Amino acid sequence: MTLDPERDLEISRIIKAPRAAVWAAWTRPEQFAKWWIPAPALCRVAEMDLRPGGALTTLMSEDGGAFGPHLSACYLELVEGRKIVFTNALVGGWRPAEQPMMTAIITLDDHDLGTAYRAHVMHKDHADQETHRALGFYDGWGTVAAQLAALVEG
Amino acid sequence: MAQYLDGIFQALADPTRRAVVGRLGHGPASVGELAAPFDMALPSFMKHIHVLEESGLIRTSKSGRVRICEIDRKQVAAVGGWLDEQRAIWESRTDRLEQFVTQEKDR
Repeated sequence: MTLDPERDLEISRIIKAPRAAVWAAWTRPEQFAKWWIPAPALCRVAEMDLRPGGALTTLMSEDGGAFGPHLSACYLELVEGRKIVFTNALVGGWRPAEQPMMTAIITLDDHDLGTAYRAHVMHKDHADQETHRALGFYDGWGTVAAQLAALVEG
Repeated sequence: MAQYLDGIFQALADPTRRAVVGRLGHGPASVGELAAPFDMALPSFMKHIHVLEESGLIRTSKSGRVRICEIDRKQVAAVGGWLDEQRAIWESRTDRLEQFVTQEKDR
């Protein structure tokens, strides 16, 4: 998979834990909910249907109150213990999503120290950045640049 | 990268500080000018200025008895990259995953 430097990003890291543990963190809803969204916000996994076409839906609560939308995605490929591909261009059941923006390919390989972890994230294009920001906000980063630009230029 | 953005995010996570950054976007100003619109004691206001200064978003310098604040444009431009934001999200996500699975192992 080629990396488009304008639109893609790649995280590559050696994680000192067995591949099975990293796989479980990605595929067990109760585990996934614990790291997917940064504290103090809470994550609830509404759907995690681990098969191509299955939904991955997470909800978020900023303050422990009502849960709102976070990620609505669709799994494209799952290779037990090794690979997860999902996109938010689709929702569960292959239905086209309203605001597609990214496809993520997560690969896990064995490594002497544990797991060679790689996340390759492909984005649609920069015109979508406002959508990204709306979502990214919940991760604590997304609005930073938008706020800054608006403030400083405003 | 993520850590550095964290400071900036915290700096902007407050309406007073956002207003200060907004004001400084139009040009340098003294602490007194910046504080004027706010119903706040000066020491409290100075805390906000310090947070902004530590984040690197603004610089301050003393001119006689007056402290002048200005935006650090380079710093602002550095966080402007859209893909950098996405990278920061995924880096911190991976940090949390890593922390989670290595803690699991210890149990």
